[in-house]
Amino acid sequence: MNILEVEELSFSYGNAKEKFRNQVLNQISFHMEEQESIGLIGANGVGKSTFLKLLTGLLTMQEGRLRIAGLEMKKENLQQIRAEIGYVFQDSDSQLFMSTVYEDVAFAPRNYGKSEEETRELVMKALGQVHMDGRKDRQIYRLSGGEKKLVSIATVLAMGSKLMLLDEPSVALDPRNRRNLIRILNELPQAKIIASHDLDFVYDTCKRVVLLSEGRIAADGRGEDILTDRMLLEKHGLELPLSFSSTPKNKFLAI
Amino acid sequence: MMKISEAISDLHKMDMEAGKHGWLQGIHPLPKLLVTVFFILTTVSYGKYDLAGLLKMGIYLIIGFVMGDISVKLLIKRMRAVLALVCLVGIANPLIDRKVLFQIGEFAVTGGMVSAVTLMLKGVFAVAASYLLMVTTAVEDLGYALRRLHIPKVFVTVLMLVYRYIIVLLKEIERMTDAYSLRAPGQTGLHYKVWGTMVGQLLLRSMDRAQIVYDSMMLRGYQGEFYLRCKKRAGAGDYLYAAVWVMVMLVLRYRG
Repeated sequence: MNILEVEELSFSYGNAKEKFRNQVLNQISFHMEEQESIGLIGANGVGKSTFLKLLTGLLTMQEGRLRIAGLEMKKENLQQIRAEIGYVFQDSDSQLFMSTVYEDVAFAPRNYGKSEEETRELVMKALGQVHMDGRKDRQIYRLSGGEKKLVSIATVLAMGSKLMLLDEPSVALDPRNRRNLIRILNELPQAKIIASHDLDFVYDTCKRVVLLSEGRIAADGRGEDILTDRMLLEKHGLELPLSFSSTPKNKFLAI
Repeated sequence: MMKISEAISDLHKMDMEAGKHGWLQGIHPLPKLLVTVFFILTTVSYGKYDLAGLLKMGIYLIIGFVMGDISVKLLIKRMRAVLALVCLVGIANPLIDRKVLFQIGEFAVTGGMVSAVTLMLKGVFAVAASYLLMVTTAVEDLGYALRRLHIPKVFVTVLMLVYRYIIVLLKEIERMTDAYSLRAPGQTGLHYKVWGTMVGQLLLRSMDRAQIVYDSMMLRGYQGEFYLRCKKRAGAGDYLYAAVWVMVMLVLRYRG
C-alpha cells in the first residue's frame, strides 16, 4: 500500500492576483510505499522544505492532489493526517519546548488522548528506539546537539506516525553523532522522507532519491544511480557526495 | 550582554532545581500550591502593626528553604529587582503615619515605620514563598496543579506559553547582542542609533522562532490546551503535608 501519493502538486508563494508569484513546486507527482525511505535532494530554494510543509498542512495546498496514509489532504482530514506524520524540524531547539525529555516526548500522546499509562509506554518505547531511555529525566537544555536531534525524533515516534519527515537532520552534528543518527534511522521501520544537502547522509539512509530542480522532479530512482551521476547532479546545482568524489583523496595522496 | 545569558542560565537552573530529587521537590504540586497560596493569604491578613506576629510566619520559609536545599543567596540574586520594588511599596508610610507606638531608648518608633517594615516583609515573604514553589516544582506540574484547581485553561496555557517564549525571546536577544558586540569592540551596550533596527529585527526573528515552536506543537496534536499530567499521584503524605502547614499557619495567625 502507498503511504503517500502526490499527483501534480504545484505551489506558489504570493496570492493568485499578485503579478510576481514565486512558483516553487510545479506539477510534482510520485508515490511512496510503506517503510520506504526517500532522500529529497536539490539545491537551495528548490522547494524541499515547502514540499514537507505541504505534506503536514502547515502550508495550504493550491493545486494537485495529496493522499497520506489513505487520507485525502483536506481541512477535515488534517488532524488525522497530522497524527500519521512526524515532522522533525531542522532546528531541534525550536522543536523541543517542554522542560524535560519525558515531558516533551509525552506531549503528543497526551494531546491524542492517551492515558498516562499508555503515554508512559509510548514514551519509553520511543526513547528506547533512539537509545535515549537513560536520559528521560534530563532537562532539554542540558542535552548535546546530537541528543536533541534524537529526542526530536523520539517526539514523533511517540505519536506512532507511519511517515517521518526529516528536514536537514544531519546539520550541526559531529561525525560520531551523525553516524549514530544514520544507524538509528536505518533501524526505524517507518517510511521516511529525508530532505538534505548532505548527500552522503542521504546515500547512507535512503534507497530511493528524488531530485528536485526548478520546481520539478528532475530525477527519481535508486540512490546509488542518482548520487553517483556527476553530470546529473552538477546540472542541477549539486555535487557528488564526498564518498564518491575522488578529488580530495587524490590530493591527499599527491601531498 | 552577559546579563541575558545569565537570565537564560537562571531560568534553566530553576528548571533543574525543580527537577531535583529532594524531599520538597517530591511532594505533589497540588498540596504545594495550596500551601503557598494559603501562606500568602495568611501573611497578607496580618495587621499593619503586627510585625512580631508576621515574623513568626518566616518559619515556613526557613523550613522550606532548608528542606528543599535552596540557596537564599540565589533567591536574593534572582529576585533582586522584584524585592527592590516590594521594598519601595511602604517607603512613604513613615511620613504619613507619625503616631509614636513605642520608644527604644531615645528613639521613637512610629506607626509608619512599623507598618512600612510590615508591608515590606509581607511582600518579601510572598515573593520568597512563590520562589520556593517555583524552584521546587516544574512549570508543567505547576500548570497541572492550577488546572486541578479549575483555573481557566486559557490562563494556564498563557502561563505555559509565556514561560516557553520568554526563553525564545531571550535567546534571540542574546544572539543579536552577541553579534553586535563582536563587531563593536570596546563599546558598552548598544548605540542608540541601532535601537530601532534591533527592536524591529528582534520582533521579526522572535515571531519566526515562535512560529516554528507553534508549528511543532500543532504537528504534535496541540489544539489550544496543554494536557498536563503529573507523574506522581497525590498520596496521604502529600495531603498530610498540606494539612500540617495549614494548621501551623492558623495557629501562628490566631494563637501565636
